[in-house]
Amino acid sequence: MILWMHEARLLLRQRLAVIALGLLTVLTMAALAAGMAEISRQRAAIAAIPVAQAEDIGAIAAWVDKDKDAGSAGYYSFHPTWDTPSPLAFAALGMRDVAPYILRVRALGLEAQIYDGDTFNPELALPGRFDFAFVLVFLAPLFVIALCHDLISGEREAGRWRTLAALPNGGAALWRRRTWLRLALLWAVLGVPFAVAAAISGVEITAILAILLLILAYLLFWAGLSVLIGRLRWSSVANAASLAALWLVLVLVLPTLGHVAINRAVPLEQGAEIALAQREAVNHAWDIPREKTMGRFYASHPQWANSAPLGAAFHYKWYFAFHQVGDESVSDKVREYRRGLESRDRIARGLGWVLPSIGVQTLLTSMARTDLAAQLAHRDHIHDYHRRLREFYYGYLFRDRPFGKADFERAPQFDEES
Amino acid sequence: MNAAALIARDELRLMRRNRVAVIASALLVLLTLVAVASSWSHQRGIEDLRARHQHAAERAFDAQPDRHPHRMVHYGTFIFRPLGALATFDPGVDAFTGNSMFLEGHQQNTANFGDVNQSTLLIRFGQLTPAFVLQTVAPLLLIFLGYGAIARETERGTLRVLMMQGATRGAIVRGKLRALGMVALLVALPAFLGLVVLTATSGAAILPTAAIVLGYGTWLLLWVTVIVLVSASACRSRDALLTLVAIWAVSVVLLPRVAPDAASVAVPLKNRLQTEVAIARDLRRLGDAHDPDDPHFSAFKRSVLQRYGVTRVEDLPVNYKGLLAIEGERITSALFDRYSGASHAAQETQNAMVRAVGVVSPAIALRSLSMAAAGTDFAAHRGFLEQAEAYRYDLVQRLNRMQADGVTYADDTATDAGADRRKRVGARNWEAMPDFTYHAPGGTALAARALPGLFVILGWLGLAAALLAFATRRMGERR
Repeated sequence: MILWMHEARLLLRQRLAVIALGLLTVLTMAALAAGMAEISRQRAAIAAIPVAQAEDIGAIAAWVDKDKDAGSAGYYSFHPTWDTPSPLAFAALGMRDVAPYILRVRALGLEAQIYDGDTFNPELALPGRFDFAFVLVFLAPLFVIALCHDLISGEREAGRWRTLAALPNGGAALWRRRTWLRLALLWAVLGVPFAVAAAISGVEITAILAILLLILAYLLFWAGLSVLIGRLRWSSVANAASLAALWLVLVLVLPTLGHVAINRAVPLEQGAEIALAQREAVNHAWDIPREKTMGRFYASHPQWANSAPLGAAFHYKWYFAFHQVGDESVSDKVREYRRGLESRDRIARGLGWVLPSIGVQTLLTSMARTDLAAQLAHRDHIHDYHRRLREFYYGYLFRDRPFGKADFERAPQFDEES
Repeated sequence: MNAAALIARDELRLMRRNRVAVIASALLVLLTLVAVASSWSHQRGIEDLRARHQHAAERAFDAQPDRHPHRMVHYGTFIFRPLGALATFDPGVDAFTGNSMFLEGHQQNTANFGDVNQSTLLIRFGQLTPAFVLQTVAPLLLIFLGYGAIARETERGTLRVLMMQGATRGAIVRGKLRALGMVALLVALPAFLGLVVLTATSGAAILPTAAIVLGYGTWLLLWVTVIVLVSASACRSRDALLTLVAIWAVSVVLLPRVAPDAASVAVPLKNRLQTEVAIARDLRRLGDAHDPDDPHFSAFKRSVLQRYGVTRVEDLPVNYKGLLAIEGERITSALFDRYSGASHAAQETQNAMVRAVGVVSPAIALRSLSMAAAGTDFAAHRGFLEQAEAYRYDLVQRLNRMQADGVTYADDTATDAGADRRKRVGARNWEAMPDFTYHAPGGTALAARALPGLFVILGWLGLAAALLAFATRRMGERR
């Protein structure tokens, strides 16, 4: 233990080490604060939905109540859906800044609505967010390199290595002690602020422990690399240069190459094609006999088939039916698109097993539920909710029941858990 | 041969003998080539897809059967933003903005289907483009090759030997600068050549290309100067290396991420839900088309009746419903413009804040320069959105006008079995509607937008050069 204390004192006398540890502490805390601020902004935006929504629906209810037409109610009412950030989201914001976490949908064709984005500044999104995941994946390795690249070579260059190797508890033991000490300090600098922030945010203890282990594993990987390079008995400078080059390749170059490769391997017919096809199908309904559309609709939704036949005048149930038929006509394309997205995600995860930088990023974002998989799961929730919305309005439309003010409150509410 | 040239030749020979340096340089050139090739084919793919979609969308619009004009207002049209040739070099925000837009009546839609929404998280590591290689990777290679240029000589005591042999301090520094400058040129050459070929074959404007070449040339020259400066000031080459890597990490990796975060906190954007609710609220105040007693629309009706000198809308020579649609669209569009204008202005403010940070981080300045010249920055995207909105408004109002003039009020309000047929206007009308053409900003405008960034980098180069001149005078002194 005394030896460890001495080593620590020795380390903290180095200006470089103190500056590095101090800087990493500041960066970690800043990134955690930035992430928590962003998440609390998102939570506030979600919390502000009901007030805005009540005002909006209230105004629609006021004039729909005169005619009590369920079609107008369904046509004009937007219903909010949202994706509450997980407690851990602050650590890895992932795609939450570019994927909409609030989306309002109507009971009309969903495929024309579900790909809509929210307002964000693309120039700000381009460089990526400054969050804990960034500090860990991008910056922490540089600090490992700065502290560990000259553990042996530095002593050798100072002419002390032979003496140190000859001491009891010297040599390999000394060098192991120094490596572990540096690792422990870096781990503490990253892990302690993270654990505090996570505890404040209400992250489960097992998740905190898992991420602490993840941090340690990632630091170990980089320390291991430093040790391997150190074995080559090059000069300190050569060690530092080759480690920094490795960092560049592993953290910057290979992931971007991976991105190109994935998008090449799994070409996705742009989602725009779904929207184009859906719009054709929906608008085509105006040019064919309405009975044909209704026939198709009733075939897949027999529970409404005993509804009264259409008269000469416009009826909203036909309008809603052709929107649904339009959605159903592109369901193959949607499935294909979805499969493409999922296989892209799968390959990226696979890459994570080979490239620690990607591995840590994917693990963090998937634990924080801010990755593509979480986005797709959220889309599924919206799909379910939209189905309930449709059924709710159909209950009035196809049974010709009046839709009064009170009925607005009966509309199904979005529920993330379902 | 003068001393500086000799020293440069010597330094280059040393680099050539260093196997790691040679491999690293070769890898970088290879990476640039891969970036150019992949970026080029990616852009071509996007370009083809957009052209195909645009064509299909236009054909579909023209091929619509007889329709009630208001149906066409809702049928709307899809437009796609074509990218300039330089987007291959720096695609900028394209992957984030999306590039297709659905235009219809009563709604101002956002651009959809950005690559980012169908990509994995890897996209957040950066995109492999020639711009990325020159902005981010090339400086680090120069650091590896140049950190020891002078520090090595100081450390080993060879600097004094050189000086004793009659090489002046200036000559030594100039020689090292020249050697590293040659490497920088070699590194930039593939990307620059690709850029020139791109410009020549696509008929793009020369000025933006010149701005990009000048900007990136200055950027690399700035790094060469900084590297020699740090190398001349450091006592040990390891200190020089660590200092340079730290400078690089802060200015190229850290600040470009921190600055946008700070800007987005300082100027929050209103989200879509709040905007839509606010627009609906304003709309109710301005004129509620659903309210038969609404003061605005009552006044509108009176003024129309007065203008035509009749007492009932049924007696109007035009279809009153069409006039109502025109008036309604005018009101909603004005609101849309106001709200999107406010949001765009807020985003411009955010970007201006980031650019202000660019004064201390030339990497940010270079990034804005590059995107501005390539026409892939927010300003260019905003230009597209505004043109799209102008086109949408024009198209919708033409259709509304058609409803006013081509469909009678009696038919439009009839609900008998044959009414649907009588409400429709001929299909040949759709072909007569103008297609959307995007007017890309001209070369001079793009180059002009790149100028501020260029000035910042040039300023930094001047500062670094001055510091180097100062450091040169003190070089080799015992410290």
